[in-house]
Formats: sequence, structure tokens, C-alpha cells
Amino acid sequence: MSDHVDGPRSIGDPSIDLSDLFAFTSPANAGYIVLAANVFPSAGVSAMFSNVVNHSIVVRRMAVAGIGEAAKFKPDGKEFRFNCRFTALERGSDGGSPIQRGSFTFPGGQELTCVVNDEKGASTPDGVFHVFVGLRSDPFYLAWLPAALIKVPNLLQHDNVLSIVIEFETARVLGPAKGSLFGVVAETTPIPKPRSPIGHEPPRFDWVGRPEQTNMRLNNPAMDGTDDLRDLWNQQTPFAISEELQPVFRKRLVDSLTNWDMRDKKADWTPADLTAAANVYLDDFLLFDVSKPTGDTSFLEIEKSTLHGRDYQTGGGRTVNANVIDIMITWMVNNDREFMQGGALSATKPGVNSFPYLASPNTEMQTVADSADLAAPPETVWALIGSFGAMWHPLIAKINVVGTGIGELRTIETIDGKQIIERLDASDDAQRFYRYTLVSGIQATGYIGTLSVHPKATGSLIEWKVQFWADGQPDFVVRTIVSTLLKTGLESLKARFGASK
Amino acid sequence: MIAAPDHVLDYPLATDGDIAVINLASARQQSWSRFWQDPQRPGIAEYIVEQEQLAAQYVGDLKALDRLETLVNQLDRVSSGAMRTALIHAQVAAMAHRFGEARDRLTQAEARGAMSADVQRLSLSIDQACGTRLQSVLEVRQRMAAESGRLEDLVPLGSLLADLGNFDEADRIYDRALREYTDVSPFAAAWVCFQRGVLWGELVPEAQSSRAAVWYRKAIEYLPCYVKARVHLSEIYLQSGNVVDADSLLVSVISSGDPEVNWRLADVLAATGRLAEAEEQLQAARTGFEALLERHLLAFADHGAEFYAGSGNDARRAFELASTNLANRPTLRAFEQAHEMALGAHETQAACEILVDAGELWGGTAAFRLSPLSTRIHSANLESRRAAR
Repeated sequence: MSDHVDGPRSIGDPSIDLSDLFAFTSPANAGYIVLAANVFPSAGVSAMFSNVVNHSIVVRRMAVAGIGEAAKFKPDGKEFRFNCRFTALERGSDGGSPIQRGSFTFPGGQELTCVVNDEKGASTPDGVFHVFVGLRSDPFYLAWLPAALIKVPNLLQHDNVLSIVIEFETARVLGPAKGSLFGVVAETTPIPKPRSPIGHEPPRFDWVGRPEQTNMRLNNPAMDGTDDLRDLWNQQTPFAISEELQPVFRKRLVDSLTNWDMRDKKADWTPADLTAAANVYLDDFLLFDVSKPTGDTSFLEIEKSTLHGRDYQTGGGRTVNANVIDIMITWMVNNDREFMQGGALSATKPGVNSFPYLASPNTEMQTVADSADLAAPPETVWALIGSFGAMWHPLIAKINVVGTGIGELRTIETIDGKQIIERLDASDDAQRFYRYTLVSGIQATGYIGTLSVHPKATGSLIEWKVQFWADGQPDFVVRTIVSTLLKTGLESLKARFGASK
Repeated sequence: MIAAPDHVLDYPLATDGDIAVINLASARQQSWSRFWQDPQRPGIAEYIVEQEQLAAQYVGDLKALDRLETLVNQLDRVSSGAMRTALIHAQVAAMAHRFGEARDRLTQAEARGAMSADVQRLSLSIDQACGTRLQSVLEVRQRMAAESGRLEDLVPLGSLLADLGNFDEADRIYDRALREYTDVSPFAAAWVCFQRGVLWGELVPEAQSSRAAVWYRKAIEYLPCYVKARVHLSEIYLQSGNVVDADSLLVSVISSGDPEVNWRLADVLAATGRLAEAEEQLQAARTGFEALLERHLLAFADHGAEFYAGSGNDARRAFELASTNLANRPTLRAFEQAHEMALGAHETQAACEILVDAGELWGGTAAFRLSPLSTRIHSANLESRRAAR
């Protein structure tokens, strides 16, 4: 095993991958702005930040430099940079989990340190800055297959991300009297080495402005055969896309937006409007105006109004609960003629109105698995248990079945009077297995069970596995219920067929 | 051959190895949850294969192969006729060194419309692992490395050049891979350092142990839990009589369950006279190897052979395993190992046949001229000529 010549296809550090950026007026205090950036999509429950990367949120004041077909937002030269670096792991006290700290540097030079996953976060003594760093439930939800534009359940259900949340007093940090419109990006950049390196270091690893600039617009999944421009884009400097490459990106954006417009076979955009929108997207930063209200539907309102040649009414930005994908898809596909709702109405857990605004992380999926070696051959065992409606489990008093095949529903009445409803998802008699999901009756979500029988020596091996997220009950309570169900069932089969030795 | 010491001070910064390993474990768990929710979800099974490969290669998690077998069994159940099932099956079979099965699955994937780049990538790996069509593999690897310049393409090229006896060029390629790496994963950096350790410590005709040790140490610096790097470095320490450092390198990764750790620790303990403890470790190694060989014979046959030829002290078992490995992938190294183990087991006739076969298959290559088998063939030829006179 040690001599594999081939490593994994792509060896990168997922913890430096920026997924989302948010900018909104604090729901807890209207005089404060919240900026938040997420890294490490699909982070597990013990995820930590990279300790060799600068995580930065960079804000610039903006001016509306053109409206209508000439819509343009021009950044000011001065930047407000919020930096965060993380330490290597420190040993936890009393053998507990390791500790990591994040160190912030703010635009005025103030510094603040915060322990990762400390719910309360940390504040500067003057109360101007309040920060949180750590694992949260991913507020982003994507409930479309973008290439075919097919509705699906949230593809990021139960996912977590690592979040950096900065709340600060707007007046003292951004000085909105000089102009209240701002653009913001987040970026991950290398920490400069103590001495000059051999070879080269990238100027940055990743950056993000508006959501899905790369995956939906520059690299439109429905446009087969086009060059992937994402790496080239990620090497660009935010607020200053290379003039030489602007025509390449502009053309791609126009082509992509044209493709999006025709997804419903109707042209809702004129070519001139598409070009104007492409120009706005080319300047990829999230716009927010601190003098106006932000809300869950204000995302992109500044851009849209300016393109329509009128004054914007909201603070734009992006709140934690903004349904950004559906808002973007609707705009791109039908120019806001008719709202296109994807297959989910919200993220796994909606954001909250108190600091740190992103919901607590999702717990780990629970797995309960058990097996038994039986003396009987697999076909004999399967003949008893292989039907989805079969009565063989000693804890079951009665089963009613509705339908046949995939989609079949079984309503189980247990001997203590409880009712459990399950749906058949997949079955294969030849391979002696079926898979089912819970509809109701156990306090769990995402509940999937798999039952299978395999030949083993002269007898058989029966395997039963159930996975779920506890919902409304502690993990151990639901685990106990499910374990009992599995164990009692398998013990009854051992008693009936004999346990193989 | 370049003999100058390597300078490793300026190589890339990488995320702390402990953080990367925690993140790998947590992301891997998350991926499995997603997979069980929907095994056919686009990309998830492929991602798990990559994560499990990292766990096996760097963390010494030998259960990764078992988990991957579960993955392909589940895919077979839910989408047996799918292109991606065949492709993933091929990847997992190749990881377990079941190369025949991997090729069959790859052909199946291709027939079902797999992208030619995916098929070619795995096909190259299989050819390289089996020592077949190496000249054309080299040409393609060189082209891919020139086009992408990515570490993922450079390291396999370096490895192939080393297999072909072009050690200095291999080292240059590894050096380039490190210098041009533009991410911060310690796995990537540790991988290159480990390969350079193997290159100078094991592949060159005259091992440069201190040079190899520099690279193994750097690999461990990037990734403290890198079991294989620790095992290799401990061997060097033990050879130079530094039993204290050899011991501490191994003790901290004994929980990995890799029997090679038990084996090398037994050697260290024996060298310090702690014979009862050494015997315990040796027994654990024997049990561990046999358990692995029972489940994944082809993946561990060469390592098992090394164990039994050494402290495992069973020359017949060593020869049996080396022969299995040779039949599975007739690389020059497999010939060298099988020949040595045939002699160890007093299988003189078999050793002669292996020598002849090696000469036929590898005799015309530069690598063979550097191999100990070349000298043996030369001596055997002289003896036959003398006998003929």
C-alpha cells in the first residue's frame, strides 16, 4: 500500500475554500453592521481553521458611476480591511478538545483575539467590534440542479461551515458621512514567509463577492465545451480585475447570462440589458448601503434598480436567510417576471436575530448498525423478512401496507401502541436487500434503514443499519430506541434459525 | 548522481498537520453521511474515494480499504449499471492492487461513457504500478506534467522516473512539485517529501540514508501522524544505532493499527534487549499482517513478504507472498523481491526462473542495469559459459 504512485486527484486544503459572504445591518442593533464569511463547505463537527492563511474581509466605499445600460459602481482607493489569522492547536485543559484561537486586526489597527467555537465571541473594550469564529450550520441552500434546472431538496441539508463573523459600529469604522454605499469581498491569502521564498506564492487562494460568480455564471454548468475560467478568475485582484482579461470575462458573462435567460425558452432580456448586467457582474463585490435597511429580499436590489435607471431603495447586502439562489435564478432566467422557487424554502437551520446570527452547528449523523450470523441459508431468511410488509419482528403487533414496490408505505403498530410509518426506497430480491426511510413515528430526520442478507459459510449474515439525525430528542434517546429495535429483531431471528458458530 | 545535501528550509508553508488530520476525519465522516443519505448524489462517492485514499496513505488508516469495499458494494446495489459505479469500482480495485479487476472495470466504465481523461488517468496508474508499457506511460506523464504543472501530475512522473532509474531527474521533478505547489495542504507537501526519502533511501543503488532521513523528517514535520514516514525514518535510526529516537517515532503511532509499526518496534525493542516486549510486538505484527492479507492479499503481499523475510522469520511464507505479488504486477522491484525470497527459502530453481523472466522482461532497460539482478544474470551467464567449456 505504501507505494501508490498516484495521489488523490486534487490535493488542496478544503478549509481555505471560501463559500459565502454576508453583509447586513445588525438585527440586534441598527447602528452596527455585520460582515460574515464562511470557509470549508461541508465541514465536519470537529473542523478547524487553517493556521497559515490570512482570512480577510475587505470593504471599499463605492460610487454609482453610471445608471441604466451604463450601470457602474466605482470603488474608492481606500480599503477597510478586517484580517483574521488562526493559531495552531493548543492542548485543551484537562485533556479536553484542542483549542484554536483567531486573532483579528481591524481597519484602525485595533486587535482582538477570540477562541474558536466560543459562542459568546469576543469584543473590544470600547464595544466597537464584536467577533465570533467557529462552526455553524450552513445558511446557504441550493435546491436546484443548476445544469438542468431541476428542483431538488436542499443539497446542503445538515451541512456545517466554519464562520468568521464581525459586527462593528458602522459610524466609527466606516464613516458613512463620506458616502454610505460600500462593496465587500472576502479573500484567503498566504501569510508572508519570514524570508523570501524560492518559487512563487499565489497572491490569494480564493475570493468571493456575490454568490456563485464562478460556479453559475463564469462556469455555467449548462454550457458544455467551454473553457473553465474559474482558476483564472480566482487569480484576479478583487476590485481591480485585469483590464487585459476583462473582455474575456465579459464575453463569458454575456454568453452565460444569455444561456440562463433562455433556460425557460423565453427571451426576457434584451441584448443591451444583458450586456449591462454582465458589466455589473464583472465588478464582483457585494454591494450594501449602510444608510438603508437590509432584509432577506434586499439582496441585489441595488444592482437591479441601478440597471433600471432608478434610485435604489434598500441597503442591498445579503442577510443570513436571504434566498440568494432563487433570487439570482429568477432574475437571470425570467428577469423577475415570475419567482422561481427551488425545492427548499429555507436552510437546514435559519439564521437567528442575535449574535453570531448564524445558527448553531448541525449535530453529527447517528448510525446504529447490528448484524447476526444465522445458521439458515440466505434464501430461507429472506423468504421470512424480505417483504417490506412482512410480520416477523417481535416488537411489532401489526403492519398495514399501502401500495407495492418503490414508494410502498408500511404503517407499523408496535406492541406498546406506537405507530411508525416507513416508505420503501429501494429493493432487490436477487441481492436480498431493501432500503427504507422514516415518514413519522420516531423523533428523527433523514432516517434511512437498510436491511440485507448475505451468504456466509453454510449459513447467512444479516445486516441492519439505520442512520438519522435526532430531532427534538437527545441523540442517545433516539439511539436507544433504534438499537432496541434492531437488537430485538436480530435476536428473534437467531432464536428462530439458530446462530451459526 | 546528485549527492549534495538537500535544503528544505524554503519549502511551502502548510496548514498544521494536526489540523489537517482533524479536518480530514471530520469531512470524511460528513461525506459518508451524505453518501448514506443518497448514494447516487453526484460527486459524493468520488469524494469519499479521495478522502479514504488520504486516510490510508497518510494516517495509516488501513480500514480505509474495507470502507471503500462497502462503498462499492452499496453502489453496486443502487446503480450497478452506472458508468460511475464501474469507474469507482476500478479505482478501489486499483487501490487494493487488484489490477486485473481494475482493468475490467475500467473497460466497463469506458463502454458506459466515462470521460477519456478519467479513464486515462487510472489506466496510467495501473500500468505504472504493474510495470507495463512504461515508455508510453512516461511520454504521457511528461506531457501531462508539462501541460498542468500540478503537483498531482508531477509526483507520479517523479515516481516513474525513479522506477526507470533516472534518479536525478526524478528528484528534480519532486523539487519542482514542491516549489510550484500553490495550496496549503500538508498532505501534498508531505507526500513529495516522503517520495524523496524513498528515492534516496531505498531506490538508488547505494542508499544515502542521511539524505533520506532529511526528507522523512520533513514529511513528519508537515504531517506528524505520517505512519509510513515514521516507519522508514525509524529504520534509518535503528541502522545507525539511534534506538531512542527510533522507539519514540514508532510508539506514538502504534494506535494506527499498522502491523509494520509493530514489526519495526519489535526490532527496536530487540536491539535494546527487551526481548519479551519485542516478542509481543512481533506477535501483534504477525496477527496484523495475516488479518490484512486475508482481506486484501494483493494490496499487502509485498509488505507481508518483507515482514516474513525479516523478523517474521518464515522464509517460505515470504516467498509465497512475493510470488503472489510478482504474478500480480511484474515490476522490476517485484522480481528483485521474489528472487531474493526464493533464495532465502532455498528455492534455487525458482530463483533461476525468476532471474530469467526478469532478464526477458526488463533486461533491455536502464533500470535493470542498476539492479542487483543484472549482476546475478551476468554471473550466471559466465558460469554457464564456463560449464559449456
